[in-house]
Amino acid sequence: MTLITDTTSMTPTPLDVPPAAEPLPKRSRSKIHVGFWIALAWVAALLLMAIFADQLSFIRLPTAAVKNHGRSTAGYKLGPGWNAWFGVDSTGRDVFSKVIYGARTTLKVGLWSTVIGLLVGTFMGLIAGYFKGTYDRVISIVVDIMLAVPPLVLAIIIVYRVGDLQQDRPGNPGILKWFTRTEQITVVLSLLAIAPLARIVRALTMSLAQRDFVLAARSVGAKNFRIITREILPNLIPAMMSVAFTGLALLISAEAALAFLGFSVETGTPTWGKMINASYRDMDKAWWATLFPSLVLFLTVLAFNVIGDRIARHYDIREAAL
Amino acid sequence: MAGTGTAHLHTADEALLRLENLVVEFPVGRTGLKVNAVSGISLDVIPGETLGLVGESGCGKSTTGRAIMQLPRPTSGSIIFDGNELTKMSGDSMRKVRTNIQMIFQDPISSLNPRRKVRDIVMEPLMIWEVGTKAERAAKVDATLEEVGIDPKRAAESQPHQFSGGQCQRISIARALVLDPKMIICDEPVSALDVSVQAQVLNLLEDLKAKRNLTLIFIAHDLAVVKNISDRVAVMYLGKVCEVAKSDDLYARPTHPYTDLLLKSIPVPDPTVKVLATKILGEIPSPVLPPSGCRFRTRCPFATDICAKEEPQLRDIGGEHFIACHHPIEHLA
Repeated sequence: MTLITDTTSMTPTPLDVPPAAEPLPKRSRSKIHVGFWIALAWVAALLLMAIFADQLSFIRLPTAAVKNHGRSTAGYKLGPGWNAWFGVDSTGRDVFSKVIYGARTTLKVGLWSTVIGLLVGTFMGLIAGYFKGTYDRVISIVVDIMLAVPPLVLAIIIVYRVGDLQQDRPGNPGILKWFTRTEQITVVLSLLAIAPLARIVRALTMSLAQRDFVLAARSVGAKNFRIITREILPNLIPAMMSVAFTGLALLISAEAALAFLGFSVETGTPTWGKMINASYRDMDKAWWATLFPSLVLFLTVLAFNVIGDRIARHYDIREAAL
Repeated sequence: MAGTGTAHLHTADEALLRLENLVVEFPVGRTGLKVNAVSGISLDVIPGETLGLVGESGCGKSTTGRAIMQLPRPTSGSIIFDGNELTKMSGDSMRKVRTNIQMIFQDPISSLNPRRKVRDIVMEPLMIWEVGTKAERAAKVDATLEEVGIDPKRAAESQPHQFSGGQCQRISIARALVLDPKMIICDEPVSALDVSVQAQVLNLLEDLKAKRNLTLIFIAHDLAVVKNISDRVAVMYLGKVCEVAKSDDLYARPTHPYTDLLLKSIPVPDPTVKVLATKILGEIPSPVLPPSGCRFRTRCPFATDICAKEEPQLRDIGGEHFIACHHPIEHLA
């Protein structure tokens, strides 16, 4: 009973002594971050080359036939070397430049589907996790259904059906012509991304909505929209970032898998999956035409995973320090 | 211990806040069962007073605090604040009235959004209600921050995790004060803090209360803390009120067996004092299936048959001291 009996006689401190600002624990930066920086450099280099491919003199057009001493190289007649770094493919095109131009398509499709997946998934997850009740039940059912549909079947149905609907022949509507193959693939991949993202956001929102700062916001009169956008959403972003990068890696490999099965973007536009599909049968003749696109694909997926992982860990430390 | 009964209440116009037969229940999944978090308590707070609300974990004291804010709305009962019946108020007018009652929470970290600047956190209530001009808002926030002992410059560039627990609690207090409320509900505001910091925060609350003429509800499980800050104390057990008395009186003559046990369990920093062998029996019963009659009977050393059959009512034992017990502890006059 004598614990704090005399609060009045204690001198009130007008300003607390600022604490030694508890620096975040620095875990041997150099070691842990090397992988992250290499991954970032790889992605940056790939992106820059993909964006500025037309301006960079060392990248041929993917449609340009590579000549060796004036002769055509069609049919894998040139291996990796100074003339064509990654060799040529069956049509005598430069594998390196196709890989770079393929990165354009692959990254574009991957990024867009991640963005769409993030927007829709976050929206669904926020609504379900914040309002709960009927909203939650309906959205959870939708998400469960989306997770239950085999992704390849979905992709095949969409690409095949849309392709069919676009045909101009008697008895066929010939509609949806504005819907390009690239867009179809993007939509299919974003459908794959929505469900897991919605689940993660829902769970995070539910736990955040229990925190006292949400109650405090409500007690000062904040409405639901303000609480969602000002209190909950900012706290979701770090987790979403790491999930987005890991998801991006997944979608890139999914795109490659679809392309490998023949469900890919328009003919003439190279992607890594298509390149692998086109040349893997001749691997014993010309290993380079299959290996290099696969290697680039592998390294890119790995890089995005490393980046996502690193971001997740970075924010984990932050949370732990709180 | 029952706590049904309203004998201890002041007249309606005397009280700033008056709870009557407040009931808060939560459903247990879809089992049809319910948690009886608060089972018909009546309390009131007169202006300028500090009412302490004590009891062990799970007795419904925090739920009571939140029910006053209508977050969530109580199952039944009446809550009259400043002449307004809160339980019947529409969502939008409640939003407005709620600004007159503010809360401070136990966990200083959880009660501040970790991703916002501290100054923005304190500014938020003014932004929501669009109080004054931008400059006026800034001046008000800075003044309030200084009032609680936080450097406004540092608050403008720092996030909550860069402050200590005590400072975070000061920031919470600043956020609660910035709308000039009439009443503050302090939900265990110091139990997460070091003892030395506890005293500072308690002092701050006392100072602010005097300066701003605030009315406080002080929820805590630590009777030593409550004793100093409260004018009156209500002891709760399993969703019921067992004893209400002036702070000094309660500590001098705890009359309800539960209060007595609570007071005896406060550690005394004196090795010569013998620890009493009285032990409270077992765990707190489940609020899903509370005991019949007096809810404390399962752990009460004096319980008899009547305790199981009849719920004791709060009754006056003189000197504004009210208890709900069939077998109160006798004190020599």
